[in-house]
Amino acid sequence: MNISEFLTKAWSPEPGVIALAVLFLAVFIAAGGLRDRGRTALFGAGVALMVLAVVSPLGHLGRNYLLSAHMIQHILLLLVVPLFILFGMPKGAAERALSWRPAGAVMRALGNPVVAWTLGVGSMWLWHVPSIHGAAIASDRLYAAQQVSFVLVGIIFWWPVFAPVKARRLTHLRSTLYLASACLGCTILGILLTFAGAGMYAAYLNPQDAAGILPYLRNDLCITPGVDQQIAGLTMWVPGCLIYLTASMITLAQWYGSPEADVEAAAQGGGILSGRGKTV
Amino acid sequence: MSSRIPIVPESTEPLPGLGENTGLLSWVASIDHKQIGIMYLIGTLIYFVIGGLEALMIRTQLAKPGSELLSPEMYNQLFTMHGTTMIFFVVMPFLIGVGVYLVPLMIGARDMAFPRLNALSFWLFAFGGVLLYYSFFTQSGAPDVGWFAYAPLSEKPFSLNNGPTYWALGLLVSGIGSLISGLNNVVTILTMRTPGMTMRRLPLFVWMMLVTSFLLVFVIPIITSAFVMLLLDRLLGATFFTPAFGGSAILWQHFFWGFGHPEVYILVLPAFGIVSEVIPVFSRKPIYGYEFVAGSTVAIGLLSLGVWAHHMFAVGLGNVANAYFSLASMLIAIPTGIKVLNWVSTMWGGRINFAVPMLFATAFIIEFVVGGLSGVAIASVPIDWVVTDSYFIVAHFHYTIFGGSLFAIFAGVYYWFPKFTGRMMSETLGKWHFWLTVVGFNMTFFIQHFLGVMGMPRRTYTYHDMPYWGSMNLISTIGAFIIALSVLVFIWNIIVSLRKGEPAGDNPWKAWTLEWATTSPPPVYNFKLVPPVRGRRPLWDLAHPDSPDEPDAKIVTEGPNG
Amino acid sequence: MANNRMMIKFFIASESIFFLMLILAYVNFHNSVTTGPTAKSSLDPYVTGIFSLFLLASSFTVWLAGKSLKNRNRSGLKLWLFATIVLGAVFIFGQAREWFGLFGRGITISSNVFGSTFFTLTGFHGFHVCVGLVMLSVLLGLTLAGDFKGPKSDAVECVSLYWHFVDGVWIVVFSVIYLWAFL
Repeated sequence: MNISEFLTKAWSPEPGVIALAVLFLAVFIAAGGLRDRGRTALFGAGVALMVLAVVSPLGHLGRNYLLSAHMIQHILLLLVVPLFILFGMPKGAAERALSWRPAGAVMRALGNPVVAWTLGVGSMWLWHVPSIHGAAIASDRLYAAQQVSFVLVGIIFWWPVFAPVKARRLTHLRSTLYLASACLGCTILGILLTFAGAGMYAAYLNPQDAAGILPYLRNDLCITPGVDQQIAGLTMWVPGCLIYLTASMITLAQWYGSPEADVEAAAQGGGILSGRGKTV
Repeated sequence: MSSRIPIVPESTEPLPGLGENTGLLSWVASIDHKQIGIMYLIGTLIYFVIGGLEALMIRTQLAKPGSELLSPEMYNQLFTMHGTTMIFFVVMPFLIGVGVYLVPLMIGARDMAFPRLNALSFWLFAFGGVLLYYSFFTQSGAPDVGWFAYAPLSEKPFSLNNGPTYWALGLLVSGIGSLISGLNNVVTILTMRTPGMTMRRLPLFVWMMLVTSFLLVFVIPIITSAFVMLLLDRLLGATFFTPAFGGSAILWQHFFWGFGHPEVYILVLPAFGIVSEVIPVFSRKPIYGYEFVAGSTVAIGLLSLGVWAHHMFAVGLGNVANAYFSLASMLIAIPTGIKVLNWVSTMWGGRINFAVPMLFATAFIIEFVVGGLSGVAIASVPIDWVVTDSYFIVAHFHYTIFGGSLFAIFAGVYYWFPKFTGRMMSETLGKWHFWLTVVGFNMTFFIQHFLGVMGMPRRTYTYHDMPYWGSMNLISTIGAFIIALSVLVFIWNIIVSLRKGEPAGDNPWKAWTLEWATTSPPPVYNFKLVPPVRGRRPLWDLAHPDSPDEPDAKIVTEGPNG
Repeated sequence: MANNRMMIKFFIASESIFFLMLILAYVNFHNSVTTGPTAKSSLDPYVTGIFSLFLLASSFTVWLAGKSLKNRNRSGLKLWLFATIVLGAVFIFGQAREWFGLFGRGITISSNVFGSTFFTLTGFHGFHVCVGLVMLSVLLGLTLAGDFKGPKSDAVECVSLYWHFVDGVWIVVFSVIYLWAFL
């Protein structure tokens, strides 16, 4: 199979993600999201990106050939797609949904910064334990669970920073801290993958070359298993971290843009981190 | 709480400080931030002279090809000690020291949050340096493995003498001092601000000190752990960094540069802060884009943590790793460029007064941009492979650390000397100092770019008589002696001004930040009354009640620190 | 004062980085031992696991001590501080026992990279436990002398934060050294 054939044929209809996409769209339409064009575009783009990341040849590559392709997919699902979805959420409907007590309580529990941080960074670490990742790409069900959980956990992770309802967000400087520390968590994993030496993930060492593109990857693109793992680690590390850093710069900019509410806090002698609640 | 057994006595009585007792004990036992700050400055001046003498010996040796003045062993010790001294015992403690003096004044506080820890930091710095320099008097001589002490050269089989042990111990001790100082600064800035001094009104110098202190808190432990491992290797026979016994020499490089690159920003961010204070005052304009200057500092601080491997392009990490690190390194140019733009825009259209501090600040921008541009160049892997470990690199980092940090340090000294001492520094001598420094500095280091591209390797004690090498090195050496002359002028200026300088008054530069609201030098208790803060330039608001910076701001006068 | 608690939090953050580096060094060499002792061949996860329980329990008792302080319960404070010290000391005893056992079999810091990383990591953790024990003893001594009437004390709160941190580090260290080798 040559590469253009691969690109046209290696589409894999993953039921888990498609079901999730349908669910998202249904809820979006039911909530009356279509009235706002901008948000519809964002939400639609998010859902489309989510489906594409899994269904397209990128998914096939990531599951069968290259850890680095998996990592790009992973960054998209955990960090990029949730942002689109959060920004695309219809605000009024989200407010109404959250005012329904059980939903509000659930999101309060999940959106607690400690919980959300642990889930976000933890899922990144957990799914990349070699044995678990190996099991995930071997089993259809676990693979679907992996993809779906990336998106859902991603939404939870971003919730404290960019929740559609302002009251649910962390204060700006706390968001900066939240994101910078998450960046540290993903950096360490990236460092480990980059410098661990080839062969952490046995499945990618000698993939079964069902599609017949392995010679192209190995010989033409020169992606040996070692290089593959380095690209994967560095993708998680550098672009992954840049997303966190850009977001934390945005929160910092928002802080500068917000009115000077901290005069009072300073008068109490409380600093931004002293935990007095009513700060910045 | 009255019946409480005090672990540490509460500081209800005024702390011992300037003026109470002028004996030596009042300095040694002092926990006053101003006295400690001054001791930092004196300490760094002494180390600066020592490090400078080492540089002069290096340059004298290199003045002509095939020189036999210094033995190779001595030469290795000299460049190691020169680098280590200038980075860890001059630039870094100077910036910490000037911060210790100014941060409480700038935020309207009485002292640092932990005055005793402050004194501890200083003494750890001072004795760390003594420990390092003691090695000169031992049989084994000073450390001779370069300022980054790559393993396995710094390991037992290759360095049987005790030099690297002294190196690691001295830096470990002074590093813990810096760490404590960083912790102290963070807590001070976050909790001790006077009412109204919100985070968004902090003077930019304080912002930079805050980011620097965060960096200190998070990166000093990296190098501390590496020093510990190196010491265990050398003293107890552990095998962390000895490949022959299963260790990894690359691991040392990762650990060292994981600290070493953020360290570069620790050296330069407070310098940015000094320049951001000086330029607005001498342009008679508020800083252009305060938010961008402060925000880009945070960006630099965060980015600097993830780019260390660009020091290791020649190690063989692989093309992929090199490419990513190259990309990330170049990104740092963006927030740095933003700052340069802000400084230039601040000067644009201002009524610029080229007094000595402003001269140094202006030269800082130019020299630092040169260093920054060569930095972007060597962030690109192919260029780095050509010039790495050559004099091009030497030129590059001298443009950033001398042309950058040290020029800003001189600007800061001339700017705050009146506050520290109550007397002005001589403008005439200052101008002599400035021009000699600029000429000497560029003469010494600009030509080294060419030497590097022509292939002259760094850290070799002599060289063959290749075409032009001798004459170019001679020019560089003459430049070094001009710098030495400028330093003599500088020290002479300090001595003369201390004795006969014009009285400065409280605010000779008509500056706007809080340290100028008290007498020069400030009393032990800093402020009789901290002026109300209702904007970024409290003294401007005080002098111009009709047109304050933030007309809508309410005035907060009461609070625990008021 | 908020200062003290903020200070100890940043100090703990800084210390975490220090331990992180030691752990990274351990992880880096985990698979590269070719000759000599390894975690699998030389350690006993069960005995160390049991001694670890003492350290974990001490985190609970120090929390109880803090609660007693809040309730102005002086005898409770004394009791739980004492219990914490005893539990911590038992842990240190267990570590000393393990170390001397290893020394007896000729396994030292200079044996190979496993020896280097293992003794450095557990040694620095043990050192931190000892420092914690000293601070707890000072607190206990001051309590016996009549200090800490409650309901608040920065000294007690900071030391207990530090103690929880030392505990948390051990959970990570134990997972990385023992669980990784034996699971």
